[in-house]
Amino acid sequence: MSIDMSQFYQVFFEETSEHLANMENLLLNLDVDNPSLEDLNAIFRAAHSIKGGSGTFGFSDMTEVTHVLEGLLDRLRKEELALRPDMVDAFLAAGDVLRGQLEHHQGGPEVDSGDIREISARLTQLAHGDSAAAATAASAPAEPARVLNLVCLFPPDLAASEAEVDNLLAALAEIAAVDLRHRPDAANGLLEARLTTARSDTELRDALAFYVGPEEIALTPAVGGEPSAYGLFEEAAPAAQEEAYGLFSEDPAPAADAAAAYGFFDDAPAAPASEKHEEDAGFGLFEDAPGRPEALPNRDVAPGDSPAAIEGPGYGLFVDAPGGLGVFDNAPGAERLSRPAAAPVATTPASTGRRLSDHPSVEVAKTGRRDTDKTVVAAGADTSIRVSVEKVDQLINLVGELVITQAMLAETAGNLDPIQAEKLLAGIDLLARNTRDLQESVMSIRMLPMSMVFSRFPRVVRDLAGKLNKQVEMKTIGENTELDKGLIEKITDPLTHLVRNSLDHGIEIPEKRVAAGKNPKGTLTLKASHQGGAVVIEVMDDGGGLNRARILEKAKERGLPVSDSISDHEVWQLIFAPGFSTAEVVTDVSGRGVGMDVVKRNIEGLGGKVELESSPGFGTRTVIRLPLTLAILDGMSVGVGGETFIVPITTVVESLQPRLDDIRTLAGDSRMVHIRGEYLPFITLSEVFGLAGVEDITKGILVVVEGEEGKAALFVDELLGQHQVVIKSLEANYRKVPGMSGATIMGDGRVAMILDVAAVIRLGLANAKRRAAA
Amino acid sequence: MDIVDSSGVPASGEYLTFTLGQEEYGIDILKVQEIRGYEAVTRIANSPAFIKGVINLRGVIVPIVDLRLKFNLGEPSYDQFTVVIILNIGKRVMGIVVDGVSDVIQLNSENLHPAPEFGSILDTRYLLGLGTVEERMIIMVDIEQLMTSQEMALVETAAA
Repeated sequence: MSIDMSQFYQVFFEETSEHLANMENLLLNLDVDNPSLEDLNAIFRAAHSIKGGSGTFGFSDMTEVTHVLEGLLDRLRKEELALRPDMVDAFLAAGDVLRGQLEHHQGGPEVDSGDIREISARLTQLAHGDSAAAATAASAPAEPARVLNLVCLFPPDLAASEAEVDNLLAALAEIAAVDLRHRPDAANGLLEARLTTARSDTELRDALAFYVGPEEIALTPAVGGEPSAYGLFEEAAPAAQEEAYGLFSEDPAPAADAAAAYGFFDDAPAAPASEKHEEDAGFGLFEDAPGRPEALPNRDVAPGDSPAAIEGPGYGLFVDAPGGLGVFDNAPGAERLSRPAAAPVATTPASTGRRLSDHPSVEVAKTGRRDTDKTVVAAGADTSIRVSVEKVDQLINLVGELVITQAMLAETAGNLDPIQAEKLLAGIDLLARNTRDLQESVMSIRMLPMSMVFSRFPRVVRDLAGKLNKQVEMKTIGENTELDKGLIEKITDPLTHLVRNSLDHGIEIPEKRVAAGKNPKGTLTLKASHQGGAVVIEVMDDGGGLNRARILEKAKERGLPVSDSISDHEVWQLIFAPGFSTAEVVTDVSGRGVGMDVVKRNIEGLGGKVELESSPGFGTRTVIRLPLTLAILDGMSVGVGGETFIVPITTVVESLQPRLDDIRTLAGDSRMVHIRGEYLPFITLSEVFGLAGVEDITKGILVVVEGEEGKAALFVDELLGQHQVVIKSLEANYRKVPGMSGATIMGDGRVAMILDVAAVIRLGLANAKRRAAA
Repeated sequence: MDIVDSSGVPASGEYLTFTLGQEEYGIDILKVQEIRGYEAVTRIANSPAFIKGVINLRGVIVPIVDLRLKFNLGEPSYDQFTVVIILNIGKRVMGIVVDGVSDVIQLNSENLHPAPEFGSILDTRYLLGLGTVEERMIIMVDIEQLMTSQEMALVETAAA
């Protein structure tokens, strides 16, 4: 039987990304000191579902990663291990790798296989290591650092100079954690070291190039990606493994024993040093085993090198273990390098030993448990169904139709004799209520909670704060506020930008905060709420606030028309100008000045508004106001020359009856209107749209609107009312019409155009210019 | 399915014929979605005169073109006999205003003659040919070509 699995791929992709998002969310909210079992179970279930799904669809790479992940989670939820922050880090990193793999299966770029191995190793190490091993893991660098063996031969004269060698080592230490194995001296110009660094080979070579020729430098990864490395070990030191294994698993291996172990290894790989440098990665582990002790001070030798020796045999044992590839890749070795002290090392071998012997039983136990877990997952089956947005939109359209039909019926029924048609009228009333309820519930299908957007930010904040060396706590308020799906998708980018801005420019570094008498930990708050038919999203930080003086200075530098006396509100508006940035240093986070203008444009494109509030020393608050949905718009209907137009209410400032003496002409023909001290361009809509409208200014109405380019007064014949209108696309069957953002269907079934206020202002001004030119 | 020759023209098929002024036109019936009476349209600002505007067709905004204006067939009248043919072209829905719908005819390729060049308003590009049915001459229009052409300005010019 062959079923085309590919038809289910999409479902798998969707489900998996949901599981991943869910997992990340749970992880970020996890209380490390006192994790709730329920959360751990939920995380485990998510990982398990991903594993199950990926296994079914044959995405074995994902299965492998989730398998390791699951292993650790399983121990956590059984309370065999205590949760630690580094585990959360590892889980998050694993989530990233999985997401990358998922994208790869959907046609994205391939995930670096090194990353996968690294995370598998980290997880396995966490799952199997006991407290001591774990403690060392905690100090392991979060950044995926590579461990490299550096070997280079110095010219004798250079090697003889103490000072020169010191300089060189200092230079090296700046870019990498150096674990010196052999210091070049007059007798032997060979430098051997193990480097732990995130830098590239080239950078390392550059650091040395000043002293030695490039051909003299040999850099090899200390832990092998190549399978050959395993093979090498299996052959090179099989006997050694047995011995070492026996030794360490039976004996808790105090430092003295470790030294003994070291001595043991001394003889094992008997290859001469010069040969080994060209050898494969894994060999580096034994690098200084033969014949080096005398060159190094004793304290360094014994504790420092024994785990490395252990590492080797570990490979041999784990080669066949599922998901255990490169288990020890950077585990003890890398940790040891980042930690000069030798204290925990004595216990490390012990744990390593245990790890080896425990391994099979742990595996078995896990398999046994997994079967029971399946039933748990099945029992908690989803109570939701997956429906394509298209179907929902179709439903919304149909309901929209129903609403219009109902309105028409109600209008017609209004003319009937209420006594004779009593039953009919009652029915129509009922219909009206049912229709309204139906419309509301159908619209709510498209509504998603803001937590969909907010949930991604803890991660962004965490990563970014780490990068910027800031301490930031993130709070979210009102994540259950619902917003149209279309808006949710479009609000994410502007919000991310604002959050990054707040972190980069708003919240100060801890020292500065302490100096200002604030909590060193900054707070970033995301808040969503409903306010009268609009959704208000706020991004608040308790940082330094906007610097009025600097903004003004920059504005003047850029030749913007400002004066020192303008209000704060107007000053803050300046940062929405394209290309405006007050950052002194352009970082990769922000500061290029591309941003706030885009944020503002995006949000206005959604029919929303952005406002800024800031007080120096207390922080900044950005307020975004959005309509509830993209599909419905609050509009004011105006009549012009017998046609109805909808002006989006968000753009309307006020409407008033003009007085003749408020109208001034400029250069003969362009008209301005004087309203409350402001001179606004006077745009006659009937003229813009080529309609025959009211000519007499005193008979019409002025609607003052505010568009991207400022305010203008639109002259219309009459105000008809205020409605919620369903936005319909003109482009679907026609094309874009200048000055219109769409169309809608009114209660009487007729089509009305929705004005694109900014475009109308532009058209009106262009008309005026043309007239002036004529 | 119709037997379609290399030019994409059905060699034989059913056509809806309609009148514009004194002339009779035919279009592929498979492009016709429905026929309805003329109702008030909402004008679109600054659009050519032959684009009457848009109507609400069960929730869909549909542009309406008056072919009589497009083809310069005198001053059109709008009364209870004026007919709108709703077309389904590609994924788009649009309507054309005509004086009346007359018939559905079968036309074989032998009854279809190439249209002579006479530099009329209606470019021969948009003509399938001239059909003869019972002594009547029917101008066969490639309605898809016509409606999506640039001069109709019904679709975004990106198609060009």
